[in-house]
Amino acid sequence: MSQIEITRSTPVILRLSVYALAFLFSFPGLYLIWRNFTEDSDPVGLIKTQRVLAPLWRTFSLAFTVSLTTAFIGTILAWLTSRTDLWGNRLWRILLPIPLVFPTFIGAAAFIRTMNPGGLMNRMLEGAGIGTVVEMRGFFGAWLVLTLFCYPYVYLPVAARLRQLPKSLEENARVLGQSSLQTFRRIVLPQVGSILAAGSLLVFLYTISDFGAVQLMRYDTLTRSIYTNRLINQPTALALSLLLLLLAAVIVLSERFFSKVTFTSQETYTGDPVLYTLGKWRIPALSIVLVTLLLSIGAPMLALGDWAADGISRTTRGGSPLTIDRGQVLESTWNTLSISVITGCVAVLAVLPIAFLVSRYRSRSGTFAHSVVIATFAVPGLLIALSMRFWILRTDWAFDLLDNTKTLLVFSYIVRFGSLAMGIVLVAVSAVPKKLHDAGQTLGTKKFARFSRIDIPLMAPGLGAAAGLVILSTMKELPITLLISPLGFSTLATRIFGSFEDAFVAEAGIMAVILVLLSFFLTWLLVIRRADHL
Amino acid sequence: MAVLLIVSCGGENSKTIDGRAAEIYPPGAEKCADSNGRSVTIYSGRTENLINPVLEAFACETGTNVQVRWGASTDLALLINEEGDKTLADVFLSRSPGPVGYLESKDLLGTISSETLDLVEDQNHSASGKWIGFSGRKRVMVYNTDEYSPEDLPDSVFDLTGEDYRDKVALPGTNGSFIDWFTVFMDVHGKDVATQWLDDMVDNGATYYPNNRSIVEAAGRGEISMGLVNHYYNYQIKASEGSSHKAENYDFNNEDIGSLLVITAATILDSSENVQASEDLLQYLLSGSVQQYFTDRTFEYPLAAGVQANSTLPQLTALEIGSVDFDKLGGGFEEASRIIEASGILNR
Repeated sequence: MSQIEITRSTPVILRLSVYALAFLFSFPGLYLIWRNFTEDSDPVGLIKTQRVLAPLWRTFSLAFTVSLTTAFIGTILAWLTSRTDLWGNRLWRILLPIPLVFPTFIGAAAFIRTMNPGGLMNRMLEGAGIGTVVEMRGFFGAWLVLTLFCYPYVYLPVAARLRQLPKSLEENARVLGQSSLQTFRRIVLPQVGSILAAGSLLVFLYTISDFGAVQLMRYDTLTRSIYTNRLINQPTALALSLLLLLLAAVIVLSERFFSKVTFTSQETYTGDPVLYTLGKWRIPALSIVLVTLLLSIGAPMLALGDWAADGISRTTRGGSPLTIDRGQVLESTWNTLSISVITGCVAVLAVLPIAFLVSRYRSRSGTFAHSVVIATFAVPGLLIALSMRFWILRTDWAFDLLDNTKTLLVFSYIVRFGSLAMGIVLVAVSAVPKKLHDAGQTLGTKKFARFSRIDIPLMAPGLGAAAGLVILSTMKELPITLLISPLGFSTLATRIFGSFEDAFVAEAGIMAVILVLLSFFLTWLLVIRRADHL
Repeated sequence: MAVLLIVSCGGENSKTIDGRAAEIYPPGAEKCADSNGRSVTIYSGRTENLINPVLEAFACETGTNVQVRWGASTDLALLINEEGDKTLADVFLSRSPGPVGYLESKDLLGTISSETLDLVEDQNHSASGKWIGFSGRKRVMVYNTDEYSPEDLPDSVFDLTGEDYRDKVALPGTNGSFIDWFTVFMDVHGKDVATQWLDDMVDNGATYYPNNRSIVEAAGRGEISMGLVNHYYNYQIKASEGSSHKAENYDFNNEDIGSLLVITAATILDSSENVQASEDLLQYLLSGSVQQYFTDRTFEYPLAAGVQANSTLPQLTALEIGSVDFDKLGGGFEEASRIIEASGILNR
């Protein structure tokens, strides 16, 4: 096996395109370094002060806890919905990715409105004599809401992987008398290990970049310091951002160091995966899914739906009219849908070369590009937007070509969210058994035919999940959309922001409900398509 | 939006406007003006919901091609700084003077003509003529009506450090207009008095919330008893939530710093090549019909054209009209933020 690998040389085009990609994805990082110089920032001096160490520690502990819990919940949910006879599986598969689509600034606010003392939930339960006593704030609030909104980062890729795993090993294990739990631990877990680690890493990086949730939960992390200092003390904000990126780099490198998982599957793909019978675990399993959905979709949707319903009924009972019209909503909905689907597809294509280089050729430059793409996910969207402006303005031809265009917007989204596709695409590429490939080669099949007949069908679930993650994240993206989009381009997220900032909660509620319905439609398509496919 | 697109295509114009824009212009008019060949690009920190009707009306009435980038004032100021003289923006509209002061310190602002500046009273534009106020919002205290009635509430923010209000008050420490307010507080009462007040508030158990809206919502739920906010959030939330929202605005004694009027600011970028259209826009913002719209529809205080504030708004008196020098905001903003951070309120 190793012989073939050594003799296989890397195609020049592949190598060059990966260099180019690594360069493009390092724009935000280079911008931060440059700005730290020009603004005379002092990240080293800053790190010695308590002012930074405390938020840095809070950032780390929050991100660590959230990624641990999402790893746990995401894996359980993925296993239950893809490998068991759980009742309602098809529906859960459509619903479970949806929390990703809540912009945290309104999702967390809606969650608070339902759950906090005096909130909607409280009012509903008052009749039964149960009052909500726990106030969502600080570490607990930030942890809970981020876990509920971020578990799909783990759930989606792990589910995609589980549905694609060869069943022979599991069958053998069970024939040899291993219990389900033992089979899960010894056979299944090691096989999803790399994708689970990749998913948890994304959760970690997202958590350190998030501003909306920690701000509303009043938990003082590095991002909050960056935001409070961004105008009044730019050198400090820039130094803090660089520290954030360094933290991300350390985490990405250590993940690579600790999870030395074999990438290449040597097993032949054999159709339907094993399905377990839940038996007496039917009810507890169903409760896990229901509680997750109730908290992550139900709680915010209750508050958003209430605002929306109030807004709609307000006009019929002669209150002040809504400030949005149908045309605006349709336009924003179409913009949201089209730009996010385009971004999702292009993002997957963009990271494919890197995945091939890493997986098929074990190239060091591939690994480097991979790390750059992943670590960039920790950079807050605002800084990605500013860095894009910065580079475009300093390159005349790029400025003429790209300024004020949707192309630049899609490109910026990809820099922000390429990491979401990277991990899954890498595992999908690695999961194509080499045996098949080599057989194809031996039989003289042409490269392109090999790719379309062997690679694509086998990678399809992974690529679909990767595109799905990027699409749902792009749909809710705010800072880049506001600062980079062509003038006059609006999405549902920008209109939600425009309404919510000045407390037009009815309009914000209506558009948030539309955003969730739109994501429901997309995940439905994704799930249905895949079901037909397999 | 459709209007803007069509107007921007130029040519003969059969388009009319409707909705809130039609309240401003044209009252019952048949169609918009033909293109005047001018265009203006606005970066607006005032949200689309509040101000787009005004911009639509301007485009329709004058035939100017109007394009807008919406965003948070702070982020847009950072973007303009990054873009320098290549910025697309001709005009920047800010929720508060802070971000404008930042751009002024970076030498990115042009000078507004005295013809425009004279539309407001002297204290409502910068002495250097770099920016001009076009509406005002008042600082008030929002309170939960189940717990308090107005007669139990104090005359002054200075009373809030007393035992009666221990663990009761919320402050939006990181919010732009709070920082603006605190900057003026430092200017009026001196830095030591202001810092002492904030430290006493923290000792007295004041809680931090990230913004005005979340304080108004929390007061409406009864999660907190009261908080210092801008006046107009409560109007919007009450309009949406009705009687389940149990919070009202309380106006401090009119001489008190707690009832300050903070203005929203407009400015023209130094790099702008559309100065005439920009000046036209600023004058339009200060015209009678637009000032009337601001007070009737967005519940703000008019600053020009002799328009009277909507009768549902708290009365304006002494402090709001004239005694505060907003020019000091630019420089004081950073110091105010540092003092707020040092007080420890952000971790409460």
